[in-house]
Amino acid sequence: MASKALSTSIRAITARTIQDGSPQMLSPVPVHIAPRDVHTTLYSFPDMEPLEYTSYPVEYLSLPLRRDILHRAVVFEGDATRQGTASTKWRGDVAGSGKKIRAQKGSGRARLGDRKSPMLRGGGVAHGPHPRDFSTELPRKIYDLAWRTALSYRYKRGEVIILRDIADLPRTDSILLKEIMETNGWGHTYGRSLFITDVRRNNLHDSMQDIGEHGKVLTKDDVDVKNLLETGRLIVENQALKNIFLEHQSDIAKPMSRLSRQASVAETAV
Amino acid sequence: MPPRLKLLRALTPLSAPSTSISPFLLPFLHPQTQSRAASILSNLNDNASLNKRIRRGRGPSSGKGKTSGRGQKGQKARGKVPMTAYGRFNGGQTPDEVVHGTRGFVQHFSANLVPLNLDRVQDWIDQGRLDPSRPITIKELHESRCLHGIKDGVKLLARNADKLTTPITILVSRASTAAISAIESAGGTISTRYYSRTSITPILRGLIDPTTSLAASHGSLLQGPLAPSPDARKILGARDAVFPYRLPDATSRKHMEYYRDPEHRGYLAHTVARGQGPSLYFKAPGGRKKVDGKKRAAAVAKAENMLW
Repeated sequence: MASKALSTSIRAITARTIQDGSPQMLSPVPVHIAPRDVHTTLYSFPDMEPLEYTSYPVEYLSLPLRRDILHRAVVFEGDATRQGTASTKWRGDVAGSGKKIRAQKGSGRARLGDRKSPMLRGGGVAHGPHPRDFSTELPRKIYDLAWRTALSYRYKRGEVIILRDIADLPRTDSILLKEIMETNGWGHTYGRSLFITDVRRNNLHDSMQDIGEHGKVLTKDDVDVKNLLETGRLIVENQALKNIFLEHQSDIAKPMSRLSRQASVAETAV
Repeated sequence: MPPRLKLLRALTPLSAPSTSISPFLLPFLHPQTQSRAASILSNLNDNASLNKRIRRGRGPSSGKGKTSGRGQKGQKARGKVPMTAYGRFNGGQTPDEVVHGTRGFVQHFSANLVPLNLDRVQDWIDQGRLDPSRPITIKELHESRCLHGIKDGVKLLARNADKLTTPITILVSRASTAAISAIESAGGTISTRYYSRTSITPILRGLIDPTTSLAASHGSLLQGPLAPSPDARKILGARDAVFPYRLPDATSRKHMEYYRDPEHRGYLAHTVARGQGPSLYFKAPGGRKKVDGKKRAAAVAKAENMLW
């Protein structure tokens, strides 16, 4: 119920500022167009039957698109992913003698020192790469905002499908998974799909190994912001989504509580 | 093969959703109707990197510290070298303005007004970023990020004027005729008033009231919401001043004439004496010739009766 309480308090704050009319605030948002919680449907898997509604505050699933924030997050991740292990040998590292190749004068040819000179074949590399750390820094709050911005962007486009229960199959079966993907329009023709599970679902994971052209399975710990933006849609377990939000809410003044249960209105469809 | 997905399909009410589902959920019940996937990844860019100034000569860790990127020793390291990039020097060739001559001129007296269009105002209102129940001045426009970089003032223009449906009360530097009529036909009021360039920054910082000046403090056209507030009146007494500075009035003839004109909804229109125009000349230049009605009718009749 915390999210509900949170949204109520936000509305209360908004209402108060309107009454105050304090000039320091930017023009306050009128109540009739003030943002509300995002109500979304939870589906069963693999039947994709709508089972329940749940709601998330706007700061989690309805943020405005910020291309710059997403860019910074994606670059930050890309930098951190770089191995930075490229390595070359400078003339001191190359094995070989330091003996002068030929006399300084009288040969009629160029002056040369030892064989390891970077000018010569087999010599060292003058300005080659050496192992280094490419990782850059990004404020935690910006990175967390990027996570929720990415999820909000995908959600607003109707590209986030939230599953009530775990996304797993009764056994490892690529053909079954492929049929599920085709039936729902999730496969290669529709731009692939990313399954995000709370913990590793072995059967789903193994089934996807053979049909990688149709999608990808990641646990919530392995997902990056870039992953959230890549495939045609995200199919995410509700628990995984909630855990992602709990992990990435450092920029929110009153974050969702880890202990509280999410406000969900159980409304069984059919 | 066991009947795998046939059973699933039979159980899945994808094609016939139950009526108990709210309409806003329907898009989610038909995941097949997806638009073609086009990732946003290729369309991301950062804002901040565009305006990052390189500060030269600020220590070795900056990368531009010791020699500030000028290399070692010589004329180029020490100063005074003709700059090819932005100057007259063209690498020893005849300079451009010698070859082609100079063109154009800079109009020093033109006002650098920021254009503001009505569709943008309406858009801001719809987003809740501007409050239409309160007067909209340059301060509100600036704070809501509707405008940036106000130099000499704001001119209201009428792009997509039909989109404006909310009655608004707005005070800007100038307004086009179409914008005035659009605002008034939507039930709003508009007034134009003079802002000097130096007064704009203090206005945006809350040091000057954006509506009230000596000339606009009493007897002005500003009625209703735009009428001078009691607080703003205090600035004229200056003893218990709410705002530490006064808002300047138009002093040049050109500006005074603009704001004396009721057609511009100028804030000085109330100072125009009865039977006079906004012009401050004794005889208005290019003023309308008064044609006597009788004489005109006689001339028309005469013209009609002429044979050739």
